Amino acid sequence: MSEALVVVVRSIIAFFTLLIFAKILGKQQISQLTFFDYVLGITIGSIASELTIDLTSRAWPHWIGLLCWATLGFLMEYITMKWRYAAKYINGEPTIVIMNGKIMESALRKMKFPISDIMELLRNKNVFDLSEVDFAIIESNGQLSVLKKPEYEPVTAKDLKITKKPSGISTELIYDGILIEENLKQIKKDKKWLDKQLKSHGVKDISEVFIATLNPAGSFYVDLYKDHIKNLTDIGDYKGPY
Amino acid sequence: MRKFLVRAIPVATLILFISVMQSDIIYKIYFDNNNITDSINLIKNDIRDDKWIEADANIKQLSESWKRVVRIIQFSAELDEIKLLDKNISRLQGAAMAKDKANAFMELNEALEHWENISE
Repeated sequence: MSEALVVVVRSIIAFFTLLIFAKILGKQQISQLTFFDYVLGITIGSIASELTIDLTSRAWPHWIGLLCWATLGFLMEYITMKWRYAAKYINGEPTIVIMNGKIMESALRKMKFPISDIMELLRNKNVFDLSEVDFAIIESNGQLSVLKKPEYEPVTAKDLKITKKPSGISTELIYDGILIEENLKQIKKDKKWLDKQLKSHGVKDISEVFIATLNPAGSFYVDLYKDHIKNLTDIGDYKGPY
Repeated sequence: MRKFLVRAIPVATLILFISVMQSDIIYKIYFDNNNITDSINLIKNDIRDDKWIEADANIKQLSESWKRVVRIIQFSAELDEIKLLDKNISRLQGAAMAKDKANAFMELNEALEHWENISE
């Protein structure tokens, strides 16, 4: 019996099982995870690690444990999606901690949130003065959302009555020196047009390009492998190994 | 076709994983034909009748069969059960050499117990 071989096979099982279960569990972003989701992730990961290296017990019970946790997690997700009342109970709900510029002490006490933490979260949002805040809400994932008082809000194009062209999302036309013909067709352009654009940027061949994109406003961006920068800005404060 | 593959590949992968993790049970049901159990019972009979030469040959055969079986069931069975059954066979070989009936029966019964535990 080769223990290393067994660990390799069990690792493959745990790895791909986790991958499949994670795909089924959905695409929730890490930043949107609630505390429970976080604990769920840690537990599932811990079961997977035991499945891999705990050779003193069969792989099967660990795998069943993994399946149960993933199924329960999926069920919880489904219930919270379909039943708003349960979602409020399970995921919690946003809590207003500053209302009309006034700190809600009772809400803070209820959530066991010290004011120093609120100040820290406000600083993370580039708010250093409490008097600038109109509303602050602790979201169910623990993050702080801040609404500044109107006089402290930055001026927008609408305030200045300026019309701006929508920039939209850029489409990749060349990636890693390879032309993406599907995207070129999608924006109704051809290779001739692309060659012309590249020539105007001093590019002789597609293979020189690392990435080239075009946004709906018509702005063409191209980045080459050779950047030809003479004066590099070094942000390091000491010499590293590279 | 693409949609079918997107679903079929994970399902097939999970089925493959389950069969690897249940290889001990699958082996016992479909491939073993009570090979190990029969071998142990045969050795018991040999020892009971004081046929030590036949017992010795059958123990060697059991040891070889066990080595073959371990290669298949190692991914699903408990490491401890495999190691304990290994030890039982080694001790059994010693007991047969010494023609020690009591110890041989003890090892045989324990080996049978471990073999039964393997796919539980």
